[in-house]
Amino acid sequence: MTDFNYHEIDDVIHSRIRTAIMAVLISVEEAEFTFIREKINATDGNLSVHLKKLEDHNYISVKKEFVMRKPVTRYAITDTGRKAFEDYIKKLESIIRK
Amino acid sequence: MSEPIIKINKAEEEISVIKKIMEDSKKAIVDNGWHYIYWGLIVTAALIANYIMVLTNTSINMQGMLWFISMTSAAIIEGIIERKREKHVKVKTFAGRLLNTLWSGSGICMFILGFAGTVSGAYNAIMIFPLISVVLGAAYLVSGVIQQVKWLSALCIFWWAGSILLLLYPGLHSMLIFAVMIICFQVTPGVIMFVQSKRELKLLAA
Repeated sequence: MTDFNYHEIDDVIHSRIRTAIMAVLISVEEAEFTFIREKINATDGNLSVHLKKLEDHNYISVKKEFVMRKPVTRYAITDTGRKAFEDYIKKLESIIRK
Repeated sequence: MSEPIIKINKAEEEISVIKKIMEDSKKAIVDNGWHYIYWGLIVTAALIANYIMVLTNTSINMQGMLWFISMTSAAIIEGIIERKREKHVKVKTFAGRLLNTLWSGSGICMFILGFAGTVSGAYNAIMIFPLISVVLGAAYLVSGVIQQVKWLSALCIFWWAGSILLLLYPGLHSMLIFAVMIICFQVTPGVIMFVQSKRELKLLAA
């Protein structure tokens, strides 16, 4: 009675917060940590953990710099991440179509 | 029996959340209108100064110098401001990059039309204004599409209509008509966009 094979779903993206991060980053070229936090209403700690997981899987890239002596972290989606996110959406759509 | 339905509902919910986040992120303000105000005021001031120079029989070379110095220094100052501002921007969008490219390209076109065209003697200096109006009309049309602001695109009609008017009835008054066009179709829209972006930022902060 299963409507899809759960092995086909990308575990890295399949989490509410990580899906939201990917949705933010696919819509922009580059975003600061604070921008992502504002858009998805996450706490600093929680967001950092999930960003790290996406970074470890090469779904997002990180750029750290200092602006007016303050550290600024910017994130961008990678080609691997874009492909994974598109596949994830396709999978969701195929579930709906069934 | 109900398991697939739950999964379908979940998938639908997931997609609608993703769509909402994507739309929301794309809405990140790409233009707060300050460029329109900045350039609008500088060009208007230069137009008035040029008009006075013509009335006081100042040499054509001096008039050319006025434009060259004011436009070049305005571009350098804008570049410095933009570089500083870019460091504080929280998000970079493709739309923002398109807008920058569009207006940089249009600026170069206007610079060529304004200086190379007249220095070479290809046309009379008074013809600069209708030619620049044509470029501005195209730039506004595309800007509005990129920012999804229909009224901004619609301004192209006024720029092109003004261009036809200035081509049909050229003269000293062209400078004043062009100054009025700059105030109405550049500075005023810039102020509207500036107020709107301030309001949006306030709402986001609330």
